[in-house]
Amino acid sequence: MTSLRETLRSHLALIPATATITIFMVLPILIILVYSFLAPGDYGGGKPEFSTNAYQRLLFQRDLFDQMVFDPAYLKIAFRSVWIAVVSVVGCLLLGFPVAYYIACQPEERRNIFLLLITIPFWTNLLVRTYCWILVLRDTGLVNVGLMRMGLIDEPLTLLYTEGAVALGLIYTYVPFMVLPIYASLERMDRRLIEAARDLYSNRWVALRYVVIPLAMPGIIAGAILVFIPALGAFIAPDLLGGGKNLMLGSLVQLQFSSARNWPFGSALAMVIMAMVLMCLFFYARSAKKNGGGIKH
Amino acid sequence: MTSAIGLSGLQKTYPGAPPVRALRNADLAINDNEFFTLLGPSGCGKTTLLRLMAGFEVPTGGKLTLFGEDIAHLPPEKRPINTVFQHYSLFPHMTVLENVAFGLKRLHKSDAEAKQVAQQMLDLVHLADFGDRKPGQLSGGQQQRVALARALAPQPRVLLLDEPLSALDLKLRQSMRAELKRLQRETGITFVFVTHDQEEALAMSDRIAVMSQGEIQQVGDPATIYEFPENRFVAEFIGDADFFEAEVLGGTEYKLSNGALLTGPRTEAAIGSQVTLFFRPEKAELKQSGSGLPGQVSEILYLGNSTDYVVDLAQGGALTVRSENHKDGTALADVGADVVVEIDPAAVRVVTT
Repeated sequence: MTSLRETLRSHLALIPATATITIFMVLPILIILVYSFLAPGDYGGGKPEFSTNAYQRLLFQRDLFDQMVFDPAYLKIAFRSVWIAVVSVVGCLLLGFPVAYYIACQPEERRNIFLLLITIPFWTNLLVRTYCWILVLRDTGLVNVGLMRMGLIDEPLTLLYTEGAVALGLIYTYVPFMVLPIYASLERMDRRLIEAARDLYSNRWVALRYVVIPLAMPGIIAGAILVFIPALGAFIAPDLLGGGKNLMLGSLVQLQFSSARNWPFGSALAMVIMAMVLMCLFFYARSAKKNGGGIKH
Repeated sequence: MTSAIGLSGLQKTYPGAPPVRALRNADLAINDNEFFTLLGPSGCGKTTLLRLMAGFEVPTGGKLTLFGEDIAHLPPEKRPINTVFQHYSLFPHMTVLENVAFGLKRLHKSDAEAKQVAQQMLDLVHLADFGDRKPGQLSGGQQQRVALARALAPQPRVLLLDEPLSALDLKLRQSMRAELKRLQRETGITFVFVTHDQEEALAMSDRIAVMSQGEIQQVGDPATIYEFPENRFVAEFIGDADFFEAEVLGGTEYKLSNGALLTGPRTEAAIGSQVTLFFRPEKAELKQSGSGLPGQVSEILYLGNSTDYVVDLAQGGALTVRSENHKDGTALADVGADVVVEIDPAAVRVVTT
């Protein structure tokens, strides 16, 4: 009897968590899933009839003769998005790891100040911050004017509206997501292990390579995931810094829900992005399991 | 003969207000193939000295040599010196074998050779079958032995041991003492052992340096350190001692501060001057009657293999006598018993304060 009551009670205790997850996670995804199988409504929304058109449009286009022909346009956008997201992850890692390491080496009171500084950009609107990059990168912007004044170049470099500009904007936006988890794993690390490595004939870099980085790996992977996922679906930086020609999946989704008014296609795209992310996570989980469940202390 | 490690006027001062003088003008020569111990209470500078030898700290003055070569400013990876750390500091993401092979690999030994030597080292510390485990799967004593194997594998000229036994329980600590002695003999490597445990130091060392407040107080073999300490700190820190302030009466006679007379060693101090006398409590004898200092047993501390009797002297003051129990296990005296403490003049030492 008591065990039954105990079980009931523990289930009761789970209700808030279950409800939160259901309302804020499962339900929205289900709604998107349903929309992705509807026909587009005339002014947005969806007509209540079953259709797989949205998914077909990802790879095929209806030609003049009403035949379905293979069209790689959206596939290209998907590849470009993955590519730019990967570049962003690498960029965030190269910038974020030294910063995280530096903070982790500071005395305790100072660490908290630095962590606060890391989060300061979040206090300002992302749109405004991304706009500022336009001022920096455009032909008459800070970089070009500066380089021309110094006489290094004669005419402005094309910096804005390139994939590089998009990656730069994404790195700028998401680098804190890389710093924080790496900092968390470095802060936990026993600093004396570095001394042990130095004692065993490793210089700083060798110790970094064989001791610090392997021990920070959980943080690096968490950071990579935290940067990769939002970078893949981002639309502010691609829109503002990439111009029209460097469309990414995120902007494409946004377009479908705004000017293109094709909600089912937008939903189908969102589902595809989610599937891609889940696949990445799945492969990561499998490789982590193969390595003996990650790193134990 | 050049010494394995030589210090002359070695100093380490940490900046601050006021600056911390962790090591002041240390002069020391550690011989090759010696089991040398740095002994002292925490904060005495022994760990600073060890870290200077390992290369984790840079001296602020003086010379530090390894077989005659100046190494004071070499980084740790350039010194053929390895360390066994107090908390083992094994790499948690590597297997035991990888840990032991780590130093060899960094010295650009081939994989096969590194693995072979590492396996030999594991055999040496009786962990031959543990190579594939992660350090987290081993007990504290096993981890300690892996740390030893890891530090010995690259065959350093000198092995530093930073209180390696302090985290182990008593039985394990005792068996590791014998093990360390054996390893030192078998490898022929100079061991520099840091500890605050005087018993450990006496049991294992060829020579001991007793340190206090950043200074080396006395260097000598264990028996000399125990029997003939040069100052009161050494006498107090190593073993137990009963101290008396006394006035020199001339010859071998002293007058204790409580008025009692005591015969001790001949001294060069002037007649009438004040000195400190001490003797080890196990060298005094507790008698029912006879000549000596009369008193009354006020407290009994049973230690198993012996018993400490605290005796309140009839003329004032107190002292401790350590004595074996009777063969049948009964005590020599009970609390409150009137006794006489007999002190052999040969057991009494005069120390400077």
